[in-house]
Amino acid sequence: MIDFELTRVGTPDAAVQIAAATPTAQQGATVRFIAGGTNLIDYMKLDVETPQHLVDINRIPDLAKVEKQPDGSLKIGALVRNSDLAQAPEVLAEYPVLSQALLSGASAQLRNKATTSGNLLQRTRCPYFRDLAYAECNKRTPGSGCAAIGGYHRNHAILGVSDQCIATHASDMDVALMVLDAVIHVQGIKGNRTIPIGEFYKLPGTTPHIENALEPGDLITHVTLPALPETKQIYLKLRDRASYEFALASAAIVMQVQGGRLRHVRVAMGGVGTRPWRMPEAEHALEGQAPGEGVFRAAADAALKTARPHTDNAFKIPLAKLCMIRALTTVTNA
Amino acid sequence: MAAKESIVGSPALRYEGEAKVLGYAKYIDDLHFPQMIHGATVRSKFPRGRITAIRYGEGIPWDEFTIVTWKDIPGENTIVHLLKDHPCLVQEIVNHPEEPIVLLAHPDKALLRKAVDAVTIEYEPLPAVFTIEESEAPDAPVIWNSEAGDSPNVFKTYLMEKGHVEDVWATADYIIEGEYSTGAQEQFYIENNGVIAEYSEQGVTVWGSMQCPYYLHHALQLAFGLPEQKCRVIQVETGGAFGGKEDYPSVIGCHAALLAMKSGRPVKMVYDRMEDMAATTKRHPSRTRHRTAVSKDGKLLGGEIEFAIDGGAYVTLSPVVLSRGTIHAAGPYNWPHLRIRAKAVATNCPPHGAFRGFGAPQSIFGLERHMDLIAKTVGITPEELRRRNFLQPGGTTATGQLIKDPIDLNGMLTRALEESGYHAKRAEFAKTNPTSPIKRGIGFATFMHGAGFTGSGERRLNSLVAIEVDDEGKPEILVSSTEFGQGTNTILCQVAAQTLHISYKDVRIAQPDTDRVPNSGPTVASRTAMIVGKLVEDASHNLLTCMRASGLLEETYTPEQFCHAALAYKQQHGELRATARYQAPDDIFWDDDKYHGDAYPAYAWAVYVAEVAVDTRTYMAEVKNFWALQEVGKVLNPVLAKGQVEGGVAQGIGYAIYEKCVWKDGVMANNQMTNYIMPTSADLPPIHVLFEEVPSIHGPFGAKGIGELPMDGPAPAILNAIEEATGVRFNHCPLLPEDIFDKLANPTLISADSSQLQPAVAGPVFSGTTP
Ligand SMILES: Cc1cc2nc3c(=O)[nH]c(=O)nc-3n(C[C@H](O)[C@H](O)[C@H](O)COP(=O)(O)OP(=O)(O)OC[C@H]3O[C@@H](n4cnc5c(N)ncnc54)[C@H](O)[C@@H]3O)c2cc1C
Ligand code: SF4
Repeated sequence: MIDFELTRVGTPDAAVQIAAATPTAQQGATVRFIAGGTNLIDYMKLDVETPQHLVDINRIPDLAKVEKQPDGSLKIGALVRNSDLAQAPEVLAEYPVLSQALLSGASAQLRNKATTSGNLLQRTRCPYFRDLAYAECNKRTPGSGCAAIGGYHRNHAILGVSDQCIATHASDMDVALMVLDAVIHVQGIKGNRTIPIGEFYKLPGTTPHIENALEPGDLITHVTLPALPETKQIYLKLRDRASYEFALASAAIVMQVQGGRLRHVRVAMGGVGTRPWRMPEAEHALEGQAPGEGVFRAAADAALKTARPHTDNAFKIPLAKLCMIRALTTVTNA
Repeated sequence: MAAKESIVGSPALRYEGEAKVLGYAKYIDDLHFPQMIHGATVRSKFPRGRITAIRYGEGIPWDEFTIVTWKDIPGENTIVHLLKDHPCLVQEIVNHPEEPIVLLAHPDKALLRKAVDAVTIEYEPLPAVFTIEESEAPDAPVIWNSEAGDSPNVFKTYLMEKGHVEDVWATADYIIEGEYSTGAQEQFYIENNGVIAEYSEQGVTVWGSMQCPYYLHHALQLAFGLPEQKCRVIQVETGGAFGGKEDYPSVIGCHAALLAMKSGRPVKMVYDRMEDMAATTKRHPSRTRHRTAVSKDGKLLGGEIEFAIDGGAYVTLSPVVLSRGTIHAAGPYNWPHLRIRAKAVATNCPPHGAFRGFGAPQSIFGLERHMDLIAKTVGITPEELRRRNFLQPGGTTATGQLIKDPIDLNGMLTRALEESGYHAKRAEFAKTNPTSPIKRGIGFATFMHGAGFTGSGERRLNSLVAIEVDDEGKPEILVSSTEFGQGTNTILCQVAAQTLHISYKDVRIAQPDTDRVPNSGPTVASRTAMIVGKLVEDASHNLLTCMRASGLLEETYTPEQFCHAALAYKQQHGELRATARYQAPDDIFWDDDKYHGDAYPAYAWAVYVAEVAVDTRTYMAEVKNFWALQEVGKVLNPVLAKGQVEGGVAQGIGYAIYEKCVWKDGVMANNQMTNYIMPTSADLPPIHVLFEEVPSIHGPFGAKGIGELPMDGPAPAILNAIEEATGVRFNHCPLLPEDIFDKLANPTLISADSSQLQPAVAGPVFSGTTP
């Protein structure tokens, strides 16, 4: 770990002002906010993240609240801890998919520290990204190559991959936020703005080091979830072991069954994409149909049509399909 | 005079438990010496080749660094284990990835890391092999040449024969063949390998996390060309080992000492997790081939077993791992005729080494999977097959050892199956499985594990133990046997306290320091409780004899009287010290050439039952419940013994269905905790630990060894249960969901896969008819 300066700020303005000095908010940032620290400190210890200046945002008041808004939406402060969010009564009642996703992640201790904004910005667990002994990693060092493609990539992505990077987006929470059409609220040097979650994450393409829409200085202040009609929801996560483990494939589903037909269907998957992966193809295939195995299978096939596996992760295609079908079956029967 | 309560057999608190719980136990990375600097290793990035140049890149203040290469080694360039083929630092030919070539030391750890990256090594590549199959192929490049005249690439072979197996094939009703294999496994101790070394005119001293101080002591003598009294090794609190700190501390210990010598300052070397996983030893991958002659009523008539292990690039401990694996390959069964051919081969992977079980888990996996195949082929239950073939008192093992202890494997099997509800569950699962997407199954393995060194090993070790009374009149045990979480300190103190008739709290045990403690042998091979424990008991008796002979201690006494007598003795004689040296029991005989005789003084016996569930939608297998029944002689400390079994079963579950070492050209590709999947407590089932106690004359108060036994049974029991659940045979561990998927989701694969075919000569070919 390199030496760094630490500043504790009490207002969003102060945070934004200091962070404006970084040339980028992406890989290579020289200023970073620290929230729970469970992701950032890990990577600083590995010298993958090398900020010279940390801005501790934990003392900014009011960022740790979950509040119902007059328009029925839910406002979640950036510093709401993952464990608090999972147990928030509003979330349990209206957005159980989010609660389930959060509780399936990491461990109790980690969830007690981890925050909403930190989880949104957690970095990939690609082992080559984490290990400086491998010089090749386009995400860490643009243009250096990708050690994963010719290496061991059992847990790498099959959707949204490019020739430059196949790293999986690791979050569970963000997959649930995809089906809830979350909106991310940012305060930047030019003022406040909102970013729909569907536009927040970038595909690796030829610039895998650019992961999201944030600019220097940008502070996530909160996330809002639009009001939902009454729906059935589920988060199903398949992983190598029961705890402390990221998804091999996970499915977040929100839907209604009206008069024997599926309505308002939202499907997203984790563990398979280079970003949390919303699946409009599956949603189309399901919308208006009567639930049944054939329909579910067709939806899963449609969603994974564009999958591009490599040698070690080809099993993820059938696994992802199974995961989606099982989630759909469970949730329609619920 | 008998103590009111027995100390042996009680759950005495761990000797060093309080220090660990309260955080004042000091591990190697907690220690700081004045002037101390840090050491790091530059390793090969290629599997095999000739070094042509070593370049020190720009931008690093090299003059501030201590740089050590093989040229700096004052003695022999070797890390001595059984042979001297393993260099301390590569001189010219690299034989595996991650092989140490250059050592660097500097006060600034961050700069050190940059410096390691700035060293580039150029080489002319040489052909390499990475698996047993590649190593033994007729056209394989020769990567290792034996002085003993074995074939190229072969470190060691054994041939073990009982009876005349040639004669049985003609009369067998069934001849059943099978091939089984196991992967490497990482020990995954909590604390990585680490040492601190100091060098001065007085000699070399190394402190470290380790199992066997005298192994490193010996290695230092050779590498530094120093007499033994100028080498000193001190074990500090050690955060787990499992065999992974048996031979490896000799490597890192010599390295740090070389840097200390050249820099003139104390040098600390502590690996991080990635380096530790990639560069240090793991369990040997293995392959076991069985060909078994069986009668139509399920009697084993004879068998041929071919057992092969992948030793990696240097011999290290492979011959002894192979030896234990070979002897355990026959299991707890009666074989009228048997031939076992075993070999350890060379590959260009980092050397594989000791890991709990030491070869036995590998060959027992093959045998216990094969037993289930035999049962299926003959058409009897796995239970019945075992019952018809169990060793009985008065019978002889595959090495010709007469079973003298009153073991009752049939009784143990009955108990384990009853405790686990085996029969009811089998019936229930047979009913529910056809319609359920979750297939459940229950399976078991029966096995034994020899305690102590194999054959004449203990005779050669010639262990010595001492007890010395300190200035407070308290006896202190002096042994080189180490504590690394398993309970050495506690049980040895219990044995001494009980023998001396004093309180457990009044016995001390010295920090293992080769300047102070005699060589009681390495802390390996399930030998500490039985062999060293017995010596502690003997030394305690000798101490009493000495005190009584002086007239200071009566025949009966109180703990206070003991203390007074001890102090009075010290006053008169200067010191009060007693020793005990290992004496081989005179009824134990072993022939190293023929591999025949009493392989171990005593065995622990076990029946392990696993209940599994396989989800046919995710292809994930889970262990739902586990019963571990073992006969281990007297249980010295029930809490520690139970802990050993629970930990071993957990490690065995990892071995069976989670922990896969992925290799790419000899490099461990998943050397991180994110992609080497070790089960967590959330993945573990309830583990029901059951003991039977048949005291052995060889151990203190009847104790035998227990440390390795629990590693042997889980993998075959679990894969047997998975076959029960799914009806599909899997013959390799670890068995991951993708492997299950490959066969279950793809029925065509099942029929095309040879392991699903009927055995080569499937019966019935009834006795009497010529095949
Ligand atoms: C062992 C382990 C297992 C795990 N398993 C899982 C799992 O199964 N599923 C899962 O989803 N996750 C898992 N995680 C990841 C965990 O969810 C994240 O570490 C956590 O959510 C990060 O939150 P944090 O508050 O600690 O972030 P930090 O580490 O504080 O920050 C992460 C990043 O976000 C930036 N940041 C933080 N707040 C803001 C803000 N307000 N505005 C702008 N930038 C900000 C930081 O600068 C930093 O770059 C695991 C982590 C560990 C260590
Ligand atoms: S997959 Fe992406 S993060 Fe991983 S090594 Fe390749 S470029 Fe780097």
